[in-house]
Amino acid sequence: MSDIDFVGLLSFVPAILRVTTPILLAALGVLISDRAGVLNIGVEGMMLSGAFAGVVASAATGSAAAGLVAAIIVGGMLGAVLAGAVHILKADLILSGIALNIAAAAGTTLLLFLMTGDKGMSGSLASQVLPKITIPVIADVPVLGTLLSGHHILTYVAFLAVPGVGIFLTRTPLGLRLRAVGESPESAAIAGINVVRVQVMALIVSGAFAGTGGAFLSMGYVSWFSQDMSAGRGFIALAAEVMGHGSASGTMFASLLLGAAEAIAVALQGRGLPSELMQTVPYIVPVIALVVYARRRQRLLARA
Amino acid sequence: MIRSALASFVITAVLLVVVVGIVLVPIAMHMPDPLAVLDMFVFGPFRNPRHTGNIIEMATPGMMCGLAVAIMLRAGMFNLGVEGAFFLGGLATVATVLLVPLPGWAMAPVGLAVGAVVGSSVCAVPGLLRARYDASELVSSLMLNFAALFIGLFIVNYFLRDPTAGAMVSYKIPNDARLPRLVAGTRIHLGTIIAVAGCLLGAVYLFMTRAGFESRIVGLNPAFAAHLGLPIRWILLRSQLIGGLIAAGAGGIEMLGLYQRFSWQGLPGNGWTGVVVAILARDNPILLIPAALFLSYLQVGGDLISRNFDVPNEAVGLIQALVLLVVTSSAIMRNPRLLRLVSGRKAAANKTPGPKVAEGSAA
Repeated sequence: MSDIDFVGLLSFVPAILRVTTPILLAALGVLISDRAGVLNIGVEGMMLSGAFAGVVASAATGSAAAGLVAAIIVGGMLGAVLAGAVHILKADLILSGIALNIAAAAGTTLLLFLMTGDKGMSGSLASQVLPKITIPVIADVPVLGTLLSGHHILTYVAFLAVPGVGIFLTRTPLGLRLRAVGESPESAAIAGINVVRVQVMALIVSGAFAGTGGAFLSMGYVSWFSQDMSAGRGFIALAAEVMGHGSASGTMFASLLLGAAEAIAVALQGRGLPSELMQTVPYIVPVIALVVYARRRQRLLARA
Repeated sequence: MIRSALASFVITAVLLVVVVGIVLVPIAMHMPDPLAVLDMFVFGPFRNPRHTGNIIEMATPGMMCGLAVAIMLRAGMFNLGVEGAFFLGGLATVATVLLVPLPGWAMAPVGLAVGAVVGSSVCAVPGLLRARYDASELVSSLMLNFAALFIGLFIVNYFLRDPTAGAMVSYKIPNDARLPRLVAGTRIHLGTIIAVAGCLLGAVYLFMTRAGFESRIVGLNPAFAAHLGLPIRWILLRSQLIGGLIAAGAGGIEMLGLYQRFSWQGLPGNGWTGVVVAILARDNPILLIPAALFLSYLQVGGDLISRNFDVPNEAVGLIQALVLLVVTSSAIMRNPRLLRLVSGRKAAANKTPGPKVAEGSAA
């Protein structure tokens, strides 16, 4: 590989990380919910609501951090709502998630209109942007600097959360209980685990992750909220989690793959290729990946 | 049994009123004249034949998308490709009508047939992947919805776009291809009759044919179906093929019935409405007709208040979401006390028909 190619690829890294961040954050949320046996389909709506809450709260307080906190709280609250729908109303999990997505799309537009008189954009709200972080010494090292420094604060949060979630799920008593509940709620209940409490907690944490991902959308590089701005990223996160086979690192690699697909698609758009076709790439890659994984699983099963 | 089934109807009806009230009353209170807003929402759609016609026009895609969802849900498939199939079906129909030289009388039938087949791929591919590789149809259909959207926009932009029109829309759909209008003064078109007939045929398919019976067995109890030696993979695929064809056909009918040009810039949302319709109708094809009419009545009411007062019609989306939630809530729908209260006697709670959604099928 020539030097130019390497430099070209290296310049892609920040773009890939940028696109991956919201997907990874949401996918980690999906992972926690899925391992607890309550797959969070509402992740799309939670992201959208988080993005909206971040803009509104940061505009109201003038503080980006307050916006982030609001996004996390709103995401968590919606997780609690979904948990309530499943455990108190005893509604179907998937359908409640779909209902949450419909409600979030309608609700954010409605509130945006009531607050600004505009249905499409939050341009009139003076919302804040979360900062980028430059790591002092490493930033000056040639290759390492591009790889490690100068990214968005939530990008660091997302990638540091990967080992965090991984250790939580596999190495802590609570994580073990959570996985037990996801594996077999009946057996977990017999073993004395409070299944409802674990699942409620998992959905709240899942929502908080989705809300953080949403905050990145509206406060990461832009300072506005627009109607349906999550644009299916929650669903991509869902696909990333399924591709990741239930592990935090797998989810991270899958998110990176999908993020890279999207970043490359965006880069190729500039070269005269039809932008519409490029935009299909992040949605087709997960389908292909799902098939590849499913085939491998089938072969493993056949061999066993 | 009849009384307990009736009880479920009564509870549903009361819940719907409550849900509409919960969303609408606070919004109306924000307005200078709350009563006028509520009055417009509830009675407005019936004051003018054109608006009453709107209810029926809007219910047409609702019935068909609901039917598509119901047929797939009955087989236990959570295939959400209905949204994409509807979009792509509409686009492929318009593309066929515009690009293929056809005699006038053949335009609509050939266009709709091509649209149905092409559009159904959004449901069929996830079905195929599920049947062949056991890949989750839920996730792949969600992804393919967006893939269908962008492929569709590409086709509009590069092959169908009318450069003289300001926006990114197709050339005009020829008059010969349009579906005939049925009632003067409204836009009710032939598609409504097709949709109603489709729901009736759907009932025949699900409850009176071997194929429908097989799909219900697979949906209710896959282990039992396997024990019987039924070809489960083929049955699942067949349900999703049928669902996809119906949803995509609905998209084509919508285009030829109501539109001058193909003008969708995003997924139109009819597929999600179809999910709500199907759930409200308890996956019963006959009940799809009133369920779709009710939801489009809400939509027309919402459009009316958004046009006459400063209320965005997104309120209807909130109502739809709540309907979906409340109607699937077995804590409410199968509450023994509530059932006893409504039916006036000790109804066995577990015998009342409830939402038959395969729980955990996505796991």
